[in-house]
Amino acid sequence: MARGLWTTTVGSFPKPAHLEKARNQHARGELSQDALEKLEHEETIQVLKRQEEIGLDILVDGELYRGDMTTFFAERMPGFAISNPVRSYGNRYYRKPIAVGPIRRKKPLTVEWWKFAQSQTTKPVKGMLTGPYTMMDWSFNEHYPSREAMAMDLAEAIREEALALQEAGAKYIQIDEPAVSVRPEELSMAVRALGRATEGLKAKTITHICYGDFDVIYPALLDLPVDMIDLEMANSRYDLLDRFRSHPFTKEIGYGVLDVHSHRIESKDEVKQGILRGLDVLRPEQMYVDPDCGLKTRTVEEAFAKLQVMVDAVREVRQEKGITA
Amino acid sequence: MKIETTLAGSFPKLPTRAGDVNLRVVRNRRDSGKATDQDVAEAIRETTRRILNVQEEAGIDLPVDGSAGWDDAQTYVARSLGGFQIAGLIRYLDTNTYYRQPEIVGAVRWNGPITVEDYKRAQAMTSRPVKAFLPGPYSLYRFSKDRHYKNPSEALAAIGKALGQEARALEDAGATWIHFEEPWLGRASAADAPLVRAALEPLLAGRKAKTLIHVPFAAPTAVFDAIRDLPWTAIGLDLVEAPAGWELLNEVPQGKTVALGLLDARNTRLEDAAAVAEAVSRARAARPDLEYQLSPSASLEYLPADKAELKVSRLVEAARIASRNGG
Repeated sequence: MARGLWTTTVGSFPKPAHLEKARNQHARGELSQDALEKLEHEETIQVLKRQEEIGLDILVDGELYRGDMTTFFAERMPGFAISNPVRSYGNRYYRKPIAVGPIRRKKPLTVEWWKFAQSQTTKPVKGMLTGPYTMMDWSFNEHYPSREAMAMDLAEAIREEALALQEAGAKYIQIDEPAVSVRPEELSMAVRALGRATEGLKAKTITHICYGDFDVIYPALLDLPVDMIDLEMANSRYDLLDRFRSHPFTKEIGYGVLDVHSHRIESKDEVKQGILRGLDVLRPEQMYVDPDCGLKTRTVEEAFAKLQVMVDAVREVRQEKGITA
Repeated sequence: MKIETTLAGSFPKLPTRAGDVNLRVVRNRRDSGKATDQDVAEAIRETTRRILNVQEEAGIDLPVDGSAGWDDAQTYVARSLGGFQIAGLIRYLDTNTYYRQPEIVGAVRWNGPITVEDYKRAQAMTSRPVKAFLPGPYSLYRFSKDRHYKNPSEALAAIGKALGQEARALEDAGATWIHFEEPWLGRASAADAPLVRAALEPLLAGRKAKTLIHVPFAAPTAVFDAIRDLPWTAIGLDLVEAPAGWELLNEVPQGKTVALGLLDARNTRLEDAAAVAEAVSRARAARPDLEYQLSPSASLEYLPADKAELKVSRLVEAARIASRNGG
């Protein structure tokens, strides 16, 4: 009997309203660090519990203690300053890292959170990092002479963190590179940087990329030195499968089946159809089924409702096709 | 010869001084029911005034209104044109900013002025000529999803015509300069040349105002032949991210203006004013028969407000040195 179609998520979960409020209070100095962390730990336990209840195979801590995916790391690394707010769209703003000196990892960045999350469950919890190319591309640079020099220093720092996660027991380490897909001419630089970040790791390595021009970067994308590449499939109506037909996808794939930009809860049938279409060109043991991207932009209820549909759809496909986890 | 200074599109909305109106806060308050649409409109007005003041105090010759009421560079105009609807958020090229994707679902048409009141309000706030801002038709099409037209040329001609009508309304309101934002010209291939022309020809025909075709992020090398003889006044080149733009200088017809995008709009590192002035001199030495403006490489909204203001000051300083050097 074939094995495969394991279920997981890309990383982030939505923050409940009272946690958002607490984070704002903390930012204004109206709530202590200890009080905020206590709440973050409580909510992380809930997120893990709900992932278990839904029946996901590989869990995440939900990143409820993180803000922006680059700024969270930059705030903890010497060499970075943090800018005043920059607009991303409409009335949404984020503070962007600025490289102002040599970037180093002086202390663990995520290891304690990973240990805490793993202590709450017997299922594997992924270590979640932002990749060196994306950290570089999404930061300002006032220090390094070139984009590559900055990316390679970041690769060293991220490698140290990945090794520390592995040392702590992480079996899956995801190093996200969403920026890789938008500058095809720099894909080789991203490959070099991610290669250094993952060098010597025995844990299963994953990278998530999204929103890109896959016509241009596929199949070169397969050069990314990781075991699994996580891709948004549903958002592009599974168009990527046509490319996999002409050039086989040779790695494991994080196979996105939920549109994270839509409030609509997918039907079980449409998710099943998406998975079945994938099985036409991919082997089940290659496939890890998950949402297209992080779920933090959905409401809490939307996120879990979508995931329940996804897990139910996978169960039916497994049953129909005789696939076990 | 004086080097004229200008900005390239939108400007950060957030204030840098305590006590100034904070549009972000007012919008959040409106969204939570604690402020009204009228309050937001007032905050947009005050933000526009502040953005114009920043430019006026620094000495920018051709200021912009900063697009304070716009959520992104496309939808403010697209949502008011007939034939468009607005869909979900997607990433704006490689900038790690987002826009809502316009979808073409019917014949594109101009239903009436979209930006004219904004222009008039901004122009009333300053004695300098405000440069109006519109998306370029080729890029608006490329940023959109076309669910209506069978033939891209037909769609591009319709968008070009509609934006041309908006430009006419701006001219009638007194606009003497109009900026058309065309990032996709830098990504177009030679095969796209007929489409680029299909979009820009109806846009530029019969313009009374001076027109700037601004191409951030990449040089429009592959399609420059297709636009060379069109009646634009100025081409804006991003010489920070796309040094290939230097080679295009040789291709620009005599008497045209080049807006030299020499200050990096996507990095906080401040340029040396003398080095920027030196680059202007290099352009003038290569093509003394052209007119020049100095501008950032792209919209300064990719920067936080404090850094954007520093860039504006540095831009003017560099232009003054360049003007002295090239007198």
